Parts: sequence; structure tokens; C-alpha cells
Amino acid sequence: MVFVQVSPRLRFPSKFPKLSFSVKQFEANHVTGADLYFVASGIQFGHANQTRASGAWRAQAPDGCQTIGFKPSHHSITSTVVPNTFSTSIGTGYDLTNSVFSPDGRNFQVEYAVKAVENGGTSIGIRCKDGVVLAVEKVISSKLLKAGANKRIATVDRHIGAVSSGLVPDGRHFVSRARDEASSWRSTYKTPITVKDLASRMGGYLQAYTLYSSVRPFGITGIVAGWDSELELPVDGQVGSGPKIGSGGKVEGKKYGGPGLFMIEPSGQYWGYYGAATGKGRQTAKAELEKLDLAAGKLSLQDGVKEAARIIYVAHADNKDKEFELEMTWISSLDGPTKGRHEEVPKDILEEAEKLAKKHLDDDDDEEETKEDDKMEE
Amino acid sequence: MEFGNSGMLNEDGIHVDMDRLKKGEVNLGTSIMAINFKDGVILGADSRTTTGAYIANRVTDKLTQVHDTIWCCRSGSAADTQAVADIVHYQLGMYAIQNGRPPTTQTAAAMFQELCYENKDRLSAGLIIAGWDERHGGQVYSIPLGGSLHKQSYAIGGSGSTYIYGYCDANWKEGMDEETAVNFVKGALQEAIKWDGSSGGVIRMVVLTKKGANRHLYLPDTDYTVRHE
Amino acid sequence: MPGFDFSNHTRNAALHARGVPLPKATSTGTTIVGCIFDGGVVIAADTRATSGPIVADKNCEKLHYIAPQIWCAGAGTAADTEFTTALISSQLELHSLSTGRKPRVVTCMTMLKQHLFRYQGHIGAYLVVAGVDPTGVGLFTVHAHGSTDKLPYVTMGSGSLAAMSVFETQWKSKMTEQEAVTLASNAIQAGIFNDLGSGSNVDVAIITKEKTTLKRGYVKPNERSKKQKSYVFKRGTTAVLNEKIITREEISKYVTVTELGTETTLGEKMDLDV
Repeated sequence: MVFVQVSPRLRFPSKFPKLSFSVKQFEANHVTGADLYFVASGIQFGHANQTRASGAWRAQAPDGCQTIGFKPSHHSITSTVVPNTFSTSIGTGYDLTNSVFSPDGRNFQVEYAVKAVENGGTSIGIRCKDGVVLAVEKVISSKLLKAGANKRIATVDRHIGAVSSGLVPDGRHFVSRARDEASSWRSTYKTPITVKDLASRMGGYLQAYTLYSSVRPFGITGIVAGWDSELELPVDGQVGSGPKIGSGGKVEGKKYGGPGLFMIEPSGQYWGYYGAATGKGRQTAKAELEKLDLAAGKLSLQDGVKEAARIIYVAHADNKDKEFELEMTWISSLDGPTKGRHEEVPKDILEEAEKLAKKHLDDDDDEEETKEDDKMEE
Repeated sequence: MEFGNSGMLNEDGIHVDMDRLKKGEVNLGTSIMAINFKDGVILGADSRTTTGAYIANRVTDKLTQVHDTIWCCRSGSAADTQAVADIVHYQLGMYAIQNGRPPTTQTAAAMFQELCYENKDRLSAGLIIAGWDERHGGQVYSIPLGGSLHKQSYAIGGSGSTYIYGYCDANWKEGMDEETAVNFVKGALQEAIKWDGSSGGVIRMVVLTKKGANRHLYLPDTDYTVRHE
Repeated sequence: MPGFDFSNHTRNAALHARGVPLPKATSTGTTIVGCIFDGGVVIAADTRATSGPIVADKNCEKLHYIAPQIWCAGAGTAADTEFTTALISSQLELHSLSTGRKPRVVTCMTMLKQHLFRYQGHIGAYLVVAGVDPTGVGLFTVHAHGSTDKLPYVTMGSGSLAAMSVFETQWKSKMTEQEAVTLASNAIQAGIFNDLGSGSNVDVAIITKEKTTLKRGYVKPNERSKKQKSYVFKRGTTAVLNEKIITREEISKYVTVTELGTETTLGEKMDLDV
């Protein structure tokens, strides 16, 4: 008879997954053909038998058990048995809490958060030459929801918007924090935060939620978009607008400000994008975004709006059984339609974009049908 | 600490005269200025520090660096302005590290203003902030006693400045070259020193351009004609 | 609001305005100086402590230890200079231990100015900070309100004007150690002889890269000389008008009389000034 001492710090759910031990570990300690009893704080809670056929020990072991010291009652040997590494995270225990690495260096809690994102409605952002567009596919969960209400894209500061895919309440908290960051930046430096700095702050914030056992990572991937003023900014609170004449000694030919688009993942990782996509339809959306050659910097904001609507419609095509609503916002340059502010795309422009998107989808379908028809004829 | 005799008690309670310098406090009875010119900004100051009628330091440096190409001119209480400049110096250093880029003159001006406005009833500090950066070129900001912030093409301050409003108004021109600008600052400060009893000593200047910070020193021995150091 | 409570100060100001005199602290009406020379720095001070018009101490110490190679000369309120230098000395030693480096004069100066600024001049410490550290020679003045100056020669205290006149007429750059010590000593003597608040002896501290030398009583220009004549009155100078002897028994009715031991157990006899 062998008693396996389990660290009492571990939590023991009622369901014990299968756990196998290397036979060699036991033989090295002169334990053969014995029953194993799992003991924590002197209380037995599990039992194991050696399976002769496989030569391995099959044991009912608790979730979250990582290292198990075992002590044969007739010997005074104490040793440590490490469970065999499984190809899945389930049952190893490494996925139960934040701030615990699996032996191959993964944080499963973060990976599960990514799964939550992958089930959410598709969100995209397009960085155009004279502005940025944000669009989101809102899957209609109930016919009783009022159309056009329940906005998912939020204004963070006058010149910045944010949208997310994944758990909606997490997205709300993300926006709330982003607003706090933007406002705190304004009160400290008396100037608007840049999109890049906001993305950096939010990346830091999300990363912190992967470190502590008392919290879980954000179940969202957020997209922040905005327009940083290309002009000289006054200090908030300065008296008057300053002298009419320009300052001396400027380095000419350099450009400042412009569009900004960043995507922040549950891990806290963030990158700047020409076109960003996340949520259920991200793969389709990314493929469409890549076709636009955004890096060339030729796409106008007006065309960007149409493309954004089309991409959301194309990405939704894989999920046709569910109805959805399209929400879109934009931020133009200072001399554009929104004058550097984050605003909803006006109703007429949105409807025009949706009309084109639907038409595009119908044309595609027709093409496919004609092709099929051709084949049939053959 | 000893008290002056100006503490008064009237019917609404205790009256404390906050405007006066505390007895024995070191004062920068001063002439300071900063101007915009073609390639950036120039800061200038006299070098007299007084305690009452005594000159506590005749070669003071009232031009204080708070970042690579952001400097300030200090007037008022020496202790207060040094403390404020030290704090902003620290904050701008942190800004550069945390955000991976140097702060703009606006950022510095905002930090100075926050301190001067929020502590206006505890401070006697009249500051001129001048800086140069690639995006904005040279900029001059003035923060007088109440903590308001003014962007100006040039700014003058301190007790000696009252004597040179006319001189500056008549002689300052937009887009002066460096030599003309240096001579303008020097000429203005010479007048301020001449007429203001609380200003005197040497003339110090800092020229801020694309090339960085460049110091000038002119001594009264040579009637401020020769550049030393 | 966090921070200090200055309500007692306001109260005192109100009482003062009503005519209540404030208690007098012992002030080191003082002359202190500092002067850089080629390879080091010297600081010097007089040794008079006053309490109003009274000389409270004829030979007090105004040169304070901060670190082996950093010393301070203090003017202003004696207690404040003493405690402030002791506090900063302690903090600087801990700082030096935690960084594993020798303490620097600028660090000391910065700690002093931040401490004094926090107390808005209520700590009446006026200091000359001097020393040699790995970055070189340092000499600063720190005023009670927290302002600082960096100069090649400095004076502070009530005798600073007299002392400064000596520096302004005789100072030259790149002096030898002996030249600097003599100049500093002369500056202090100018304070001793021309300022009522300063007096007695000259203390000097010389700090070089190699060592610190403290010369207590470097000059003693006010030694009390032997009186040429005795001024003790002869016995019988005052006429006896009457005499009454009270016995011990009679006294015992009013007080308890205890016999004390001999001189050796009592300690020394009190010296009478003759």
C-alpha cells in the first residue's frame, strides 16, 4: 500500500481526470504492484491501481496536482512524482489559474481568453490616407433588441474610438479604462494622448491581467483608432492662442500626427496596423484587407468606409444563419468630414455603403451560380 | 524663525500677508528674458541674488536646464523657483524614459504651470520657459505670479523688466539672425541692469537651436562686450 | 489635506500680533566661511553662541560632521543646524551603504535643500556645505528656505559681510592649501572683531582627496590673560553691624538637617570665580 502525499495548497475539484505515472519512478523506489492512495492533510481522497496491460499506473488524481510527493508506508522514502505531460492543457492543472506557466512556457488562461475572442462578432479597422474607419458586426441575439441602439464602438477621447470582439462587458471595461487613461494624460500633460500612447497604456493594462491569480485576462481583442493632430497644439489652459508669427528654427519637411490604428490582444501584446481584424470572421476579413494594399496609402476615407462595410458583410457570409447589424464610425483628418473627431458614419453614407456591400455579395453569388450552371451544361 | 511686524489681526480673524517674502528669504531681484529668433530661442538673465539689501550671490545662474533643449529663467524666491525647477527636471526626465521620446516645450510649460497654479498661495515664482524641438522650433512661454500661462514671441520678467518694455517693443523683430538676437538680449539686459537696483552682475545667455544648448557669458568689466567661457 | 499642520504657527502669529513675545531660541549669531583651493576645500567658523544679548557659549562647535569627506558649517538656530546636519548625515550614510558608493557633496546639498524647503524656513538652518567626492571638490551654501548657491568662496551668518569683504579683496584662483586656510581664518577674524554676534576662536576644517583635518581653535585671538592685579576685597571691607548665632538645634525645628560625607564622596568643590 502506497500513500501519495499531495500538496495541501492545491485545490481539489470533485472530478478527477485520469493521471498516469511513470512506472520507473515507482520501481526506483521499490514499489511494485501496490495500491496508491492519494492523501492530502491526512485525508484520503483518491485511489490508483497499476494497470498490468499498459505497465502504467492509472490513478484517480485531482485537478491541479502538479507535483506529488509519495511515501510508501513500509518505507520512509519521500519522493516527487511529476505527471506525464499531456498534449492538451485539460487536466494538467496548468490552465486553472493565471500566473502559472505550463512546463512548455504557455499561459493557458490567456489562450482560453483568445478563444472567447474568436467567438465574438467581427470587428475591423482600416487606416486610410485621410482618416480611419472602425466597423463591427453585431450579431442580433434577440428580435426584441432595438435596432441601432446598443452601440459597440465607443469614443475614448475626442479624436479616438475603440471597438472590441469577445465578451461585451470586458469590452465595456476596456473602454472605461481607455477613457481614464486619455483623461489622465490630458490632465498631466495638458495635451491629447496620441493613439500610439493610448495603445501602449492599454497594452500594459491588459498584460497586468495575465499576472495575478485574483483576476482573469480580458476576453476581448480591442481595436483603437484615431487621428493625431498634424498641427502645433496649444497647452490646455494657456491664455490666448499665442503669437501670430511662427516659431523659429523648425526642422522643415518632417510630418507629424496623422492616422493611428492599433490592436490589443488579451496577452497585452499590441501592434500598429494598416488594417486590423478580430472576432469570428477575422480570417476572411484579413484576407479581404490584404487585397486592399493599404500600405500604399492610397485608399481614401470615403472608399475605406465602403470597403469596411463590404468586408463585414463578406466575413458574415460564413455565419449566414444569424442576422446582424453593421455599426461604423470614423475619424477624418482635420480638414475632412469629421475635422479630426471620432464620430458615427452618417446614416446616408452608411446605408449607401451597406447597399454596395449587399450588391457585391449578390454579384459574387451570381458568379458562382453561373459557373456552376456552366459546369452543369457540360 | 523670527517674524516680521506685518502680522495683523482684524475682526475677521488672522490676517497673514502672503505676498511678502518671508523674513530673510533669498530673493532673485531680477532681469530675465527669452526671445524667439530665426533658428530657435535665446534665454538671458542678470546674475544678482539678494537678501534684503545684501547681495548674497553676484554671479548667480538663473538660467536652469530642465531637459536637453528646454530651459527656464527664474525670478522671485530662489528657494521656490529652484524647488519647482528641480521637480520639473525630474518629471521631464521620467517623461523621456517612459514615452521613449523627448518632451516638447508645451509639456514642460504644462508641468511648470500645474505647480505654479496649484501652489499659487505658497509660491512666489515668476518663470519664463523656453525650449526648442524639431516639430515646433523655438517657443517661449511665460508663467507670471498667479500661475497663468502665456505663449509669447518674446517674454521679459523680474523687477528689472519694467525698465525695458519700451526698449524691447521698439527693437524686437521677427526672425532675427543669431548675432542680432544676442545683441538685442544683451542690450535689453544692460538697460535693465543700469536702471534696476536689484539687477546686476554678469549677463548670462543660453542659445537653443537644432545644434543644442550654447552658453554665453558677458562681464561688466569689459562693459559686456567680450564673450567669456 | 495631507501634509503638515501649520495651525500652531498661525496661532503663534496671532499671539505675536497681540503683543505676546515669542520665546528666544539660542542663535549662533555667527561668521562661517568656505573657500576652494587647488586640491580641496576649507571651511571655517567662529565659536560664539548667543542668546539675545548673552554669550551662551564661548567655545561652541559650528563645524558639523556629515561624512568623512563632507563637512558643514552652520549658522542660524543652533538646535536646527545641529539636528539637520545630524539627520542628513545619517540618511547620507545609509544612502552610501545602499548604493555602495562614497557620498557626494551635491547629494548632501540636495537632501538638505529638500528638507529645509519642506519646512518653509521654519527650520532656521543656514549652512555652508563642503567636501571632496569622486566627482571632485564641492562647495555650496544652503539657506533656511531651501535655496542653494555654488561658488568658489562663500560666507554666511551675521558676520558674513565682514568676512566677504576679506574674500572680495584678497581671494585669488588656484590658491595653495595654506593660502586658503589663512584667508578663511582671516575672514572669520574679520567677523569675530567686527560683528557683535561673532566672537572667540576660529575653527577650521580642511578637506582634501586624501583626508580631512579638523583644527579646533586654529586661532585663539581672545584668550583670557592673567589679571595683572587681584580684585578680591580684603576681609572686613564691609562693616559688621550686628551678629546673631543660630544653633543647629534651633534650625532643626524648621528643616531636617543631614550630615553629608567628606569632600571625596561629594565630588569636586564648586569653583568660585575670583
